[in-house]
Amino acid sequence: MRSGLNRRSFLTTAATVAGAAAMAPLLSACGGGSGKKAAANTKEGLKAALPTYVPSTNAVKPDIASVQGTGDAATDPAYLSYPASPPTSVSGVPGKGGSYTAVTPLWGTAPPTGNSFYEAMNKALGVELSVKPTDGINYSTIIPTMTAAKKLPDWINLPAWLNANFNTGGLVGTQLADLTPYLSGDNIKKYPNLAALPTGAWQHGVWGDKLYGIPCFSTSFGIPGATFYRRDILEARGITADQVKSADDLMNIGKELTDGKRGVWAFDDVWTYLQFAWGVPMNWKVDNGKLVHPFETQEFLEALDWHNRLAASGYMHPDALAGDVSNGSTRFYSGKTLIGGGGLGAWNLADHQSGTAADPNYRRGAFNAITADGKGTPVIYMGAAASMISYLNASLKPEQIQELLSVANYLAAPYGTAEYTMVNFGVEGVHHTRVNGMPTFTEEGKKDVQVTSYQFLAAAPSVTSNPGGEQTTRDYAGWSAANVKYLTKPPFWGMNLSMPQAIASAAAAQNVNDTIKDCYHGKKKVSDVQDAISSWRSGPGERLKQWMTDNVLNKYGTGQ
Amino acid sequence: MSTAAPKRPAGPARLNWRTRLRRDKSLLLMTVPAVVLLLVFNYVPLFGIVTAFQEYDPLVGVWHSEWVGFDQFQQLLGDPAFWASLQNTLYLSFVQLILFFPIPIALALLLNSVISERIRNFFQSVVYLPHFFSWVLAITIFQQMLGGAGILNQFLRQHDISTWDIMTNPDTFALLVTSQAVWKEAGWGIIVFLAALSAINSELYEAAAADGAGRMRRMWHITLPGLRGVIVLMLVLRLGNALSVGFEQFLVQRDAVGHEAADVLDTFSFYYGIATGGYSYGAAAGLFKSVVSLLLIWGANKLAHAFGEDGLYRK
Repeated sequence: MRSGLNRRSFLTTAATVAGAAAMAPLLSACGGGSGKKAAANTKEGLKAALPTYVPSTNAVKPDIASVQGTGDAATDPAYLSYPASPPTSVSGVPGKGGSYTAVTPLWGTAPPTGNSFYEAMNKALGVELSVKPTDGINYSTIIPTMTAAKKLPDWINLPAWLNANFNTGGLVGTQLADLTPYLSGDNIKKYPNLAALPTGAWQHGVWGDKLYGIPCFSTSFGIPGATFYRRDILEARGITADQVKSADDLMNIGKELTDGKRGVWAFDDVWTYLQFAWGVPMNWKVDNGKLVHPFETQEFLEALDWHNRLAASGYMHPDALAGDVSNGSTRFYSGKTLIGGGGLGAWNLADHQSGTAADPNYRRGAFNAITADGKGTPVIYMGAAASMISYLNASLKPEQIQELLSVANYLAAPYGTAEYTMVNFGVEGVHHTRVNGMPTFTEEGKKDVQVTSYQFLAAAPSVTSNPGGEQTTRDYAGWSAANVKYLTKPPFWGMNLSMPQAIASAAAAQNVNDTIKDCYHGKKKVSDVQDAISSWRSGPGERLKQWMTDNVLNKYGTGQ
Repeated sequence: MSTAAPKRPAGPARLNWRTRLRRDKSLLLMTVPAVVLLLVFNYVPLFGIVTAFQEYDPLVGVWHSEWVGFDQFQQLLGDPAFWASLQNTLYLSFVQLILFFPIPIALALLLNSVISERIRNFFQSVVYLPHFFSWVLAITIFQQMLGGAGILNQFLRQHDISTWDIMTNPDTFALLVTSQAVWKEAGWGIIVFLAALSAINSELYEAAAADGAGRMRRMWHITLPGLRGVIVLMLVLRLGNALSVGFEQFLVQRDAVGHEAADVLDTFSFYYGIATGGYSYGAAAGLFKSVVSLLLIWGANKLAHAFGEDGLYRK
């Protein structure tokens, strides 16, 4: 078992949170919450604020290249090796000797202050950057005390899923610096590594038509989740992923795989990510210029009906039906369940390690996106392209902002470069050594470098790399390449909306969501959900739709 | 306790407060920490009640949130989910009163009749122990034993006997939570009754035995009357707490039986208040509960006095 969160497992958490956030009806897609303004971006304003995208010329050639989907969607490049002599992407030292403070969230044990890694980084960056990693679990309550006292550090990370807690929409401009003059359009070319971050990720840092945030771990493959399966076990039974083309196929292999006497059930919860196979919209659908909520669609009821039948079929693990989510991965690792939905962040090295610890043959796979009836083209809705966003303090002078942006440019150096190696693995011989060609932490490196701090200020675009779990990298890259063509942006994607509290509560639709859960756990009928929906629609649902129509749709459109 | 109630000092000479203050000052000083604790943790937070009349937004704070008067209460009283959770609360409270309340008394009587100190101590430790488990742990144990994939059902399944759906059946949920409560808390509940039992004058038993009273008669005429005051006190407290049937126990099992069976007033406040950002709505539900609880405890206390018992305080 891991103790504390390192960078990789944090990303799992972040991706899971981001995934869950993307699934929650608008709530966390929206920042702010003061109710004083409906901050959103206009189409033209957004375009003017966004930086020009210039692909990196220094990037190390990936072992598995990125595959382009439609629009901005593309898979993350994947690496099975690390360059023996990393190329440089930044010439000279970025800083001019300035002194700055920075606060980032930390899920794990804080490294000692003034450690050798901080010293080496300050030397490499040419600034005195004092990084204060702050408890990630209580981050949502620590930061508001700083903003209330107007005592933000010079550079801070504000995770996008906490925008509502921080009222980021209200902080920009007053406490957080406007970066539009420095980064919009071609201005960004001064910072080539920042210019290589995908445009979609920058969009999450734009508030009220101005650019404030620097995205970290940006990706063009930000999707909430998938339906996973135990590839080792299913393939041993002669079942491959491409045999599953419809919901009926899934139900049939459920029957084949379930063996209650041996304590094996085919399914864990699959509802959250599988519902889109029926064409259920994510958050909203726009039909003839009018907003339609997923609850109002026939597709939603059909999806629910199938899941309700699944619950009654006996192919679902009883503990899953009893709502026990926390032991879901244990059931999956031990082969008690073979198919289950989950966030994509689960598919990484930590998963490979935990899985093979339980069963040496363990191999995770994911079904390709399907349509319920096996006809037509499936859809995968895109989630956030970056969920960790950093901001600069509004009180900084222009030359200080430029200095820090140069530092950010260093931190955002692409995978495999000398700068990337420095930021992520520290100094060779001190913080890491090469094992089979891969940088591997020394004890000192584990203590000082492995915790993620600098990467939460600015970071390279996401890549897939699992040193020691190359099969995982291949499987993940293969699956994303096969599915990237289905990626679609839902309405209002990346729009950074601010919602008043009462509307946000209406969007949460607690009673309906409770009844939905009871329904796919087989305790309520679809008609019960219909009843709950109709009472929601007549009150909170109507208010929510009215607010969205008046304050967002009619003023700003759907952002597409 | 009607048996050994000390007489109230009947002196007509009421001392003036200054003299009394001087006389009792060390006693008063000793109550100060408790009073401060009560003030800080029970009275000062009462200020939060104001949010029930607002559209409270944590970002702008209590002072700047919009004042909406009784809007939240109006919404609350028109919310079927609220009435369902109130109904659940009352029903569970009633079931627990009938099935749970007598058990600690019976256990205390049984334990009291065990002569061997050793056996008594052993038995006492065993029944106290579950009290120190958290609800999460207690329910996990139930789930491992009786759950759909638990020991019992896996045994039934392997022997081709139809399985027994205990942990996820909303219809029998009240019995399930009551038996969990008995398993976890009944042992702890006997402490106060054991204390009351030890206060009964043993000479009474000897005298009754000498007069030829049997075991049952002694229990009926000496033990139970001796316990009556405590039983009534516990009953009054129980009734006053009728709307608090617990929180974690229902939170943990809510997904297992569905929200309609498991939502009680406290989980309602949590899910419809805190969890969805509707703080004011949750506060309104909480305030409603407090007011009804206050009326209940007042009524129960009145009733106790009417029956000549002490209730919460001596009249």
